[in-house]
Amino acid sequence: MSDFQSEADFERDLNLDELLKGIDKSRLVSALNVLLDTMVDIMDDTGASLIGDNDSKTVDKVPLHGELEPVGFLQTRTAVPPERLRAAADMMQLILRCNARYLLSSDIHLQTQRDDFEELQRRNVALQASEARYKNLSESLEIRVKEQVKTIEKAHLKLYRNEKQASVGRLAAGVAHEVNNPLGFIRSNVATAVSYLESFYEFNTLIDNGASSEELRKVWEGRELPLLLDDFKDLMNESLEGLDRIAKIVIALKGFSRIDQTETERADIDTIVRQICQVAESQWQQKAKLVLDLSSETPIQCQSAQLGQVVYGLLGNAVDAIEKTGIIRIRTSVRNGVVVLEVQDNGRGISETVLPHVFEPFFTTKEVGQGTGLGLTVCHDIVKEHGGTIDIVSQIGKGTRVTVNLPVQNAIQHSKES
Amino acid sequence: MAQYDESSQKLTIKLVYYGPALSGKTTNLMRLHDILTPDMKGELMIMETADDRTLFFDLLPLGFRAPSGLLIKFKVYTVPGQVIHDSTRKAVLSRADGVVFVADSQRTQSVNNGESFENLAANAARVGLDFQQLPLVVQFNKRDLPAILTEQEILERWEKAPWPVLFSSALTGEGIIETFKTLLTAVYLTCDRLYRLQSDHGLDCDSFIAQTLGGSLSSARG
Ligand SMILES: Nc1nc2c(ncn2[C@@H]2O[C@H](COP(=O)(O)OP(=O)(O)O)[C@@H](O)[C@H]2O)c(=O)[nH]1
Ligand SMILES: [Mg+2]
Repeated sequence: MSDFQSEADFERDLNLDELLKGIDKSRLVSALNVLLDTMVDIMDDTGASLIGDNDSKTVDKVPLHGELEPVGFLQTRTAVPPERLRAAADMMQLILRCNARYLLSSDIHLQTQRDDFEELQRRNVALQASEARYKNLSESLEIRVKEQVKTIEKAHLKLYRNEKQASVGRLAAGVAHEVNNPLGFIRSNVATAVSYLESFYEFNTLIDNGASSEELRKVWEGRELPLLLDDFKDLMNESLEGLDRIAKIVIALKGFSRIDQTETERADIDTIVRQICQVAESQWQQKAKLVLDLSSETPIQCQSAQLGQVVYGLLGNAVDAIEKTGIIRIRTSVRNGVVVLEVQDNGRGISETVLPHVFEPFFTTKEVGQGTGLGLTVCHDIVKEHGGTIDIVSQIGKGTRVTVNLPVQNAIQHSKES
Repeated sequence: MAQYDESSQKLTIKLVYYGPALSGKTTNLMRLHDILTPDMKGELMIMETADDRTLFFDLLPLGFRAPSGLLIKFKVYTVPGQVIHDSTRKAVLSRADGVVFVADSQRTQSVNNGESFENLAANAARVGLDFQQLPLVVQFNKRDLPAILTEQEILERWEKAPWPVLFSSALTGEGIIETFKTLLTAVYLTCDRLYRLQSDHGLDCDSFIAQTLGGSLSSARG
């Protein structure tokens, strides 16, 4: 009975004790006593007394059957007519059978419940196992996604640097042009000046040979040496100007080529704009008239080369937006402690569907090979690093205006990498 | 497997009538209870609901003694056929020594028969019975009804199967004993192999069957 397993096995043979389970034995025995008009005892098939007395003497006895075999005996202590004894035993068997039905039912019920429960538990374990598998899978997936993201970010960073390099390259090409121009006229000026010297050497030979002052004056005037002298001065002055221009360009270029600059310095945006215009003018002078309206004049703590990239990038976009010829206005001002830089063109404009994406990496409307689509992304990142914002408004056919706001205070977060 | 109890000299053999709901399993047992006259025959225990559907199982206990004194006890069960009682079917089927599959011969019942047979195979596997080795007899019942599959159709369908196919009408008792005898023959073979009924207990197949069916029957039906 303590054994759950055997308790619930509906196939086990029930002994008499079990068959009497739940039956009020004293009432049963007193009923039998009255019916048979004697004292009765009930023994099981091992001889153990279940009801009544073990040691009392037995006069008559009749077997009680379980489902097939005898499971015990009904015994009387005095003689009883055999048919009455059989009738009493029969009645008892009816009671036992009823009880057996109940016991069988509850046993198989218990057994199937237990089996179902075990089955459920097995399924639960299986489910948990598969859940664990999926969890592992999703975890390893997460790791792989993270790795992929890292790879992509690396590639992104490389492209990003390439874009910065490329813009420096474009700048350099412009600069070469810018330098070639004064170089050309300086060279021709100097050549002309050198050719003038011939005439003065000849005049000097006359002096050495002891020519008279009259003769000398005649030659001085006749060869138009005073004119040459004035022209010589002009040529040299013009060349000096050209050299100054080259020197400025070189200084500006030196500034803007520092793309990995991390240290900050005090610089004002007006100077940066002017320098960029100086070194890159040849890139737009065919297409666009540049109108500068610079009045910020407030130096800010910044990475000037980086801001130069921004100005150069925005200017480049403005030039590209112009189909044939147009006007580009660059305005600077200070409003409420914010340096404002506006680059406005009257080019083709950006459509509403494209506009929200222009700061996204790799987004480009230019032909393949024309741009990586990182230009505005780079600008955006640099401005953000300076604690500023960049906004863009545009109208198809009318043009585009990009506004950069840079706070004067705390203009740069002193973080290294973006 | 049959349960051999050394101390009380008893071999308990479990037989199960399996099949779809209402195919006639309980009726088979009722007829067996009516007809069989072994030395020991218990009462037929029928556990059914108010609408005559078998709730848990039916049980018919039978028995006789072998010449050696060994008590051969049969417990013949039916399973509940309704789909929802699958746990009970499994519990009753477990450790079975032989199975009668009671199919309903009516044409409309072919699908139910098929599903129930598959369920038998599946449950046999679940309770660890070797379905290929299990003594099994297929009985097509209700031959008295119209709109039934012909014997030829049925035999053709079961041609490839290794199990004997019998026909019956449980209502009248037709074919009930033949089915039971066919099963007993197969069951004897496995029990003899395991418990040496012939050599240790002096019990051959013919007397095994004759004693199970009971004196009058064995001589009358041979
Ligand atoms: N006509 C006919 N009816 C039968 C036969 N065997 C059983 N039935 C009837 O079919 C119904 C179901 O029988 P039952 O033995 O309870 O089916 P079980 O669900 O397999 O136990 C009852 O009404 C039976 O009287 C048969 O051979 N012929
Ligand atoms: Mg039934």
